Amino acid sequence: MQVYADAQVIWWLLLGVLLMGLAVMVGMDMGVGAILRSVGRTDEERRVALNIIGPHWDGNQVWFILGGGAIFAAFPLIYATAFSGFYVVMLLLLWTMIMRPLGFEYRSRIANPDWRGVWDWVLFVSGAVPMIVFGAAFGNLFHGVPFHFEWNMTSYYTGSFLGLLNPFAILTGVLSLALAAMMGALTVMNGAEGPMFERARGIAQGGAAAAIALFAIGGFWVRALGGYRLTGGPGPGVPQTPLEQSVTVLPGAWLANFGAHPILWIVPLAGFGGMIGALLAARAGRSHLGWWLGAAAWIGVIGTAGAALFPFMLPSSSNPSMSLTIWNSSSSRLTLLWMIGFAAVFVPLILWYTSWAFWVMRGKVSAETIARDDHAY
Amino acid sequence: MINGTVVDLSRIQFAATALYHFLFVPLTLGLSFLLAAMETVYVTTGKPIYRQMAQFWGKLFMINFALGVATGLTMEFQFGTNWSFYSSFVGDIFGAPLAIEGLMAFFMESTFVGLMVFGWERLSRGQHLAVTWLVALGSNLSALWILVANGFMQDPVGAAFNPVTMRMQLTSFQKLIFSPDVQSKFVHTSIAGYVTAAMFVAGVSAYYMLRNRHLDLAKRSFRMAALYGVLATIGVITLGDALGFVAARVQPTKLAAMEGLWRKEVAPMPFNVIAFPEQAEQRNIGKVQVPAVLSLLVTHSLTGTVPGIAALERQAVGRIQNGIPAVQALEALAKNPNDAAALAQFNAHKADLGYGFLVQRFAPDLNNVTPAEVQEAARDTIPPVAAVFWSFRLMVGLGLAMLAYFVLAALYTLRNRIQKKTWILKVAVWMIPVPFLANEMGWLVAELGRQPWTVFGVLPTWMSASTHSVGYMAFSLIGFVTLYSIFIAVEMYLMVRAIRLGPEEHGGSGDAPPQTRPTLAGRTVPAAAYGNKLEG
Amino acid sequence: MRSVLYFLLFLVIAVIVTLLAAILGDEGSWYFAWLIGTTMLVLISAAGAALLDAQEEHAAAQAAAAERKPL
Repeated sequence: MQVYADAQVIWWLLLGVLLMGLAVMVGMDMGVGAILRSVGRTDEERRVALNIIGPHWDGNQVWFILGGGAIFAAFPLIYATAFSGFYVVMLLLLWTMIMRPLGFEYRSRIANPDWRGVWDWVLFVSGAVPMIVFGAAFGNLFHGVPFHFEWNMTSYYTGSFLGLLNPFAILTGVLSLALAAMMGALTVMNGAEGPMFERARGIAQGGAAAAIALFAIGGFWVRALGGYRLTGGPGPGVPQTPLEQSVTVLPGAWLANFGAHPILWIVPLAGFGGMIGALLAARAGRSHLGWWLGAAAWIGVIGTAGAALFPFMLPSSSNPSMSLTIWNSSSSRLTLLWMIGFAAVFVPLILWYTSWAFWVMRGKVSAETIARDDHAY
Repeated sequence: MINGTVVDLSRIQFAATALYHFLFVPLTLGLSFLLAAMETVYVTTGKPIYRQMAQFWGKLFMINFALGVATGLTMEFQFGTNWSFYSSFVGDIFGAPLAIEGLMAFFMESTFVGLMVFGWERLSRGQHLAVTWLVALGSNLSALWILVANGFMQDPVGAAFNPVTMRMQLTSFQKLIFSPDVQSKFVHTSIAGYVTAAMFVAGVSAYYMLRNRHLDLAKRSFRMAALYGVLATIGVITLGDALGFVAARVQPTKLAAMEGLWRKEVAPMPFNVIAFPEQAEQRNIGKVQVPAVLSLLVTHSLTGTVPGIAALERQAVGRIQNGIPAVQALEALAKNPNDAAALAQFNAHKADLGYGFLVQRFAPDLNNVTPAEVQEAARDTIPPVAAVFWSFRLMVGLGLAMLAYFVLAALYTLRNRIQKKTWILKVAVWMIPVPFLANEMGWLVAELGRQPWTVFGVLPTWMSASTHSVGYMAFSLIGFVTLYSIFIAVEMYLMVRAIRLGPEEHGGSGDAPPQTRPTLAGRTVPAAAYGNKLEG
Repeated sequence: MRSVLYFLLFLVIAVIVTLLAAILGDEGSWYFAWLIGTTMLVLISAAGAALLDAQEEHAAAQAAAAERKPL
């Protein structure tokens, strides 16, 4: 029982790591897509921006795929309920995301300006929309989502598409977009020179400032939201269904974990620290430092959400007692343990060869190098 | 109870997006290893032509790869968005290989594909070769884990239903990954990809030879593709046979449908080469048979038999009657988890739980199930015979045609006389679509033949879908059809264009005449000035 | 000394690979066949290309010899 509970918490943490990896790595590529049209005024400049992330976007995107796969494997009930409940939003996310590989791969194959102009818009949409959806999904977790289960675990979503676009979710969606734009701009600064560097510097500072404001507003707003509290149930490490627990909704309960463990305040502070640091580093033109501080900001923001929600993963607003928690939605002990084994071997390996790939492709990208390279985007 | 129209629309959407995805995947699986072969020759012999080959085919590889990745995202979403009951019911088992696929294979493939494209100038020859091999290995390992997941749907081993959590749970990971169905299915699918790539490369090379263009590249590519193709086709047929042999044991309804076998035949059973199955009357109209071959194929002996559809339906009646108490016990356990009598009843009948679910489609109230409803559910256990029968025959026929073609092509290319045999080259161009069609047929045999189940014998398709409205499903289906139609048009346009331009003019900056290339600033500089055309 | 160490290292790797292959051959014979078969496919098609180079060189040499004769 203890082993099972530990495995559940480990997978919750691992999922957090994957979501942070997703936010940092996919977020920066999507940020570049979202700011592509403003950071690059000419086709030449836009190609520079695309080629900065060109060798890596495909690998980075796997963080997203892995995040989805990990939810499926470790928390199948979350995967099933959230993906089907958020149907229209998921389609929006999916349809914009599947245009992205084509945008990278196909845009520069034909020199026609109209062709490239269309793909530039595709890259903008496929950068901005998924990041907003990603952030808004977190916002909706705080709100709760209207769903319930039948006796055999058939899930029913009773809300509408528009219900997912509530003000708090829009705030978190824009926060996510701001952070992504900041990271995208810092990435462009890492790889570009001259006027592009300067424009990216401005965008990075703007993104960071917006993110600081939105994160602070979100922090105060959450006190007014109804939070969820687990008041009874089989508890951690016990095989169960979501029909066996009781949950109450109290205003401000999302801050209860911080009240019980004040040390957790470090996490949002790290988020603020990262954002402020990234802002200052961008102003100073030290983009590599800024990038790492921006990554710390993402870790702080997602960590804050996780710390507030624990142990809830997908609260139900229509039937709070059927809310999905770490304890009632995880896979079996055997699956979790096998998956921990695979993650223990492969996550370090992934980090190692990803770093190697970045090291191989290090350095600035210029119009000349693109013109010389037959394979460039 | 889920609306039947929603289930049908969900099935159409899944089939359409999966078939579409599967147009691109096999070429990735096979072409990656063929690229590795070309680059291996380059690194060992140092001849620049092989580098040019690896780069040119690599370009085509990437056009195809982009759409493979994009449409693969859809597949990962779709289990959750449209098959949510399925996902929560078997996610404990099914999700694990998908996550491992990301960890072990897809990450490797995607990270190194970036280096494969962008790393020519930055990596040493040996390093770049290693990167190409890792892309090939990664893409095929990716297929392995996806097929581990799919194999579980075909033959659910290593798992058991847990009445406490109301879902299937993993009992043995080893059984899951070493299941005979998974093994033979993975090798069959991976090698089908090799055949696809061989036919693609052979066809495009033949096109160049017929037009007397890029002869050095085309001759060598054709030779490599022909040898790769002849061996791969032999492999794919061998594994197809192994897969049929496994199916005879684990999915008798699929096998009976594939063979149009309505009634039990005496050993040695004849093979229906041509027949027109009539599902309502349970018979074949007009048939051409070869004696004894079916016994040899599916049991590897002259004395073996497999049950016909009539017998399978009779078996299903018994299993349905046995499954009904299992579902009833489960419902009681959901109300009171400590109900010992219900647990005992469940344990006595749990082997046929899936059949209990199956009959609920026809009899939602399990306390009043009529014999007619049981009969109807038993009929439902048989997949659509004519569709499976003909998909299977088309796949096999195309496979045999490709074997014949590759033998001929290998013979003439090995004698170095292929350029004189223009008719063989012309056939190659026309045969490019053949492996793609065969792959699609293979998917249909496997997945249509599994119906009415999503997980064979465990979870019926009708229960697996999400509880959406018809409006939502119509919206998403229209969206997919629109997007995917645009995508395929763009992809085909770019692919044909890249092939027409050929190896020298396929540069990233686009519309360039053979000898010069516009730079980004609009100036025109002789291509040779860039110095990286053929050798680096 | 260095050669001996390399030899030992590769020997250990060879033993491990043999053991793993033996286990895989038992549990997953088709997987094993795939590994061997794919390697073989790649190498044979590579060898086919090398053979083509040899054939072309041979043909070129013969043509050159035939041209030289009349002189």
